[in-house]
Amino acid sequence: MTELNVSAIQRFSTGDGPGIRTTVFLKGCNLRCPWCHNPENIRPEPQTLEYKNAGKTVSYGRMMTVDEVFADVMEDADFYRAGGGGVTLGGGEPLLQAEAAAVLLRQLKEADVSTLIDTAGCVPWGKLEAVADVTDMFYFDYKTGDDAKYRTVIGGDRALVFDNLKRLIGLGRNVHVRIPLIPGFNMSEEDCGKICADLGGIGVTHVDLLPFHRLGTSKYEALGLEYAYKNEKPSEPEIIQSIRSFYSRYFVTSTE
Amino acid sequence: MSILKDLQREMRERPEGKFNPDYFRYQGYKNSKASDPSAVRADGIYALFTLPEPFIYQNDLIVGSIRPIFVDDVDEKEAEAAAEYGKKYPGRGFGQNGDHFAPDYFTAVELGIPGLIEKIEKSKIAHKDSESALIFLDSMKKTLVGLIEKFRAYAAKAEALKTAEGYDAARLDRIAENCLALTVGAPQTFEQGLQLVWMIHNCFVSEGKYAMALGRIDRFLYPLYEKDVKSGALDDDRATELVANTFAKICEHRYMGYDDVVNICIGGVDENGDDAVTGLTYCVLHAVRDVNMPGPNLSARVSHKNPDKFLDECLKVIGTGLGYPALMNDDVHIAALLRKGYELKDVRNFCMVGCIENFITGKQPPWVDGRFDPICFLLDVLHGFDAGTLDAFASMEVFMALYEKRLAEGAQKYAKWAHDVSDVPDPENHTMPFMSCFCDCCIDRALDINMGGAKYPSAHGAVLMGIGTVSDCLAAIEKTVFVDKSLTLSGIVTAIDHNFEGYENVRETLLAAPKYGNNDDFVDKYAVWYTRTLSDMFDQYKTHDDGPIYTAMAANTTNISAGQGLSATPDGRLAGRPLSDAASPTYGCDTRGVTSTLLSVSKPDYTRCACGTVVNQKFSPSAFTDGKRERLMQLIRVYFARGGQEIQINSTSREILKDAMEHPEKYPNLVVRVSGYSAIYVTLGRDIQEDILSRTQHETV
Repeated sequence: MTELNVSAIQRFSTGDGPGIRTTVFLKGCNLRCPWCHNPENIRPEPQTLEYKNAGKTVSYGRMMTVDEVFADVMEDADFYRAGGGGVTLGGGEPLLQAEAAAVLLRQLKEADVSTLIDTAGCVPWGKLEAVADVTDMFYFDYKTGDDAKYRTVIGGDRALVFDNLKRLIGLGRNVHVRIPLIPGFNMSEEDCGKICADLGGIGVTHVDLLPFHRLGTSKYEALGLEYAYKNEKPSEPEIIQSIRSFYSRYFVTSTE
Repeated sequence: MSILKDLQREMRERPEGKFNPDYFRYQGYKNSKASDPSAVRADGIYALFTLPEPFIYQNDLIVGSIRPIFVDDVDEKEAEAAAEYGKKYPGRGFGQNGDHFAPDYFTAVELGIPGLIEKIEKSKIAHKDSESALIFLDSMKKTLVGLIEKFRAYAAKAEALKTAEGYDAARLDRIAENCLALTVGAPQTFEQGLQLVWMIHNCFVSEGKYAMALGRIDRFLYPLYEKDVKSGALDDDRATELVANTFAKICEHRYMGYDDVVNICIGGVDENGDDAVTGLTYCVLHAVRDVNMPGPNLSARVSHKNPDKFLDECLKVIGTGLGYPALMNDDVHIAALLRKGYELKDVRNFCMVGCIENFITGKQPPWVDGRFDPICFLLDVLHGFDAGTLDAFASMEVFMALYEKRLAEGAQKYAKWAHDVSDVPDPENHTMPFMSCFCDCCIDRALDINMGGAKYPSAHGAVLMGIGTVSDCLAAIEKTVFVDKSLTLSGIVTAIDHNFEGYENVRETLLAAPKYGNNDDFVDKYAVWYTRTLSDMFDQYKTHDDGPIYTAMAANTTNISAGQGLSATPDGRLAGRPLSDAASPTYGCDTRGVTSTLLSVSKPDYTRCACGTVVNQKFSPSAFTDGKRERLMQLIRVYFARGGQEIQINSTSREILKDAMEHPEKYPNLVVRVSGYSAIYVTLGRDIQEDILSRTQHETV
């Protein structure tokens, strides 16, 4: 029986694609972005978060069969169909479980439900290929155009990410590139210029800019972990606006 | 906008003295030469309408204020005598079908006051052989003549104020012209129509009546609106300004330390079942937005025939933080009222009175309701047997049969109370000649609204408390006692009798059982049962004049007071905690998200709740922004298509967020969304809560 390591299932998840969606967060990630706002989805094993100030504990992580996940998300099918909504697979890195995910996505497609994967794309091409024909839309993170930064800060291979993105676009898939705007990491003009050069060369036309926020702080505390970005305030709107203007010279841009 | 703001500023100045309709009525009573109680009462009402000196605000476009009813220099003896007369001619209160009424403004706008008087004259010819009929018709007429005098007095006042400081002569000319036109005929313009309706409403409020509805203002003023827009005499900005200038005065009460709730109904279908949304609908919606105060209680009838734009405009107004309009599923409401035997065209013209109570516009006596609390009967079952007997119950079915028996006894007792409380023994001493003028058939039948004049009999609303609490209790009992066999009924009784002190593990087990609001049939089936069973029980009973008893799930905030006096319950609820609110799941128990909540709460058959239900939901202000709002619309459309009856949506205000920082226990599931990321607000650290708070302020400015 095909199983998925599910961290949480979030309904009416309006930030993760068009329409009313349910996001299935898959547990486990191969990157270690220090600003990550979903730290509970990084490690594959189950974890319990203890929010001391609220007197609340929340558990994340359980193995569910694809059929169980399918039945769970299909409860909201009427809501998806009301306006282009559907199911989003997020994480963590959902493509670490690409084979099981593909089984779920195929069932959803057969049920005429729209599918979306939110990925960092730092996985062997075969993982993307496994889901490409059953995924209506990809949210594809492109965090930096700098090989060394990608390797040392995040712990991944930029060239692989770039190559995957290029191939996915080459397949004609619907890909939204998303760029988290992380203070001190990728917000300088040089950083932005590199990313634009990379993306412009492979036919990307739209990018979503995601300003940093520190809403994940309490999760780190609840996990007993130190959050490197806990004192980093959200960027001033003017700074976000000027970065957006920069990207707008090359792409259609949007910010949340 | 500035006229509106200036008007609202003017209204803040509190008048001297106290609101005292009795004093003015007394002036009429003491000089009355009549002996028939209706005639004496009409003399009192005539005095109330004609004696107080009219008051016009500098920024009034439409006139009619309750300030003149405030008196501060009443001679002590006069006051005593007035109070005595007040007792001799007592008004009907809420329990006696006295207020909570939606007048027939359709006929009033069509005929005007002179036309209504003419109708009365015709009825007098038809009833020429009945002395009592003639007396009552003359009593009705006297009150309408008083209203005409009131218009004349307002016109004179407007004329007199033209040279007064701060007043605008051109506006006063217009006011005088409108008021005088209404003394001689039906309204000819939108402005006159609005002036007529507002002055009638003002008369009711001056009488001391509460929760008088305006009803379908976008319907009964539509012919005049359409005529004026076509001729170029009116545009939507002006119509909105006029309506806002009128609605602002609904809040006069609030400024003066009183409270009133005036239901206004927009949208839905017309008498033919077609989409009734018009340009005027949006004017009314935007007027309520501009007034931006509680009081004008706006209800939107949302039919599958209404355009998406209507729902979207409603959501925009809700997103301002106002919380209005409440969204009513027109299709379910119509089906529910049809079950009660009203004519289709009358049902299609329903509106609401008070908070959400369905009402056949101008065709039934004023509304009455009471509270029925099913959880108490469940506790009666648990306390009605010794431990040995309880634990010998073979199945959940046995328990349910006993519970149904207790409920049936309770419903019978309630129905008797409902019948008796409204059955005034001497109705001839409690007539309402003025209100009767605005209720269909009273003029033709020459009968008081509560003595057979109204087309339909009265309806009573049995407001059912705690559907969430009851469903959760039953599911917990079934799961722990009969499925898992982890607890015994006697064990549960002991634990709740001790408020779970020393029995924390029992409480944990009960809390772990399925809860209403998570799209789980194991528990949702009890909500379906609750709705069907209780409506069947109340269907067997009638009001004192052979009208129906409706059920409702809309207990306002009485779920809190009802919970305060109650022991712990088998759902794991501690003693004194609130019951579940209205038709909503128990707060904090619907943990799977709003779609699951709505899937659960759309399972009961609400066509059996003819009075109406309330489901409250909160969303952060960002959910109402362009591009995101359409998801709320999709959510509501699906919820309604599945048979949900009502939803009232609140944009999470800064006040709520601040309160949640201080009292996190009250908001365990308050979700905030920022940048497409959602978090449980109370789990966030204080500095991050501050981030969100500052952002919320930014979004709502």
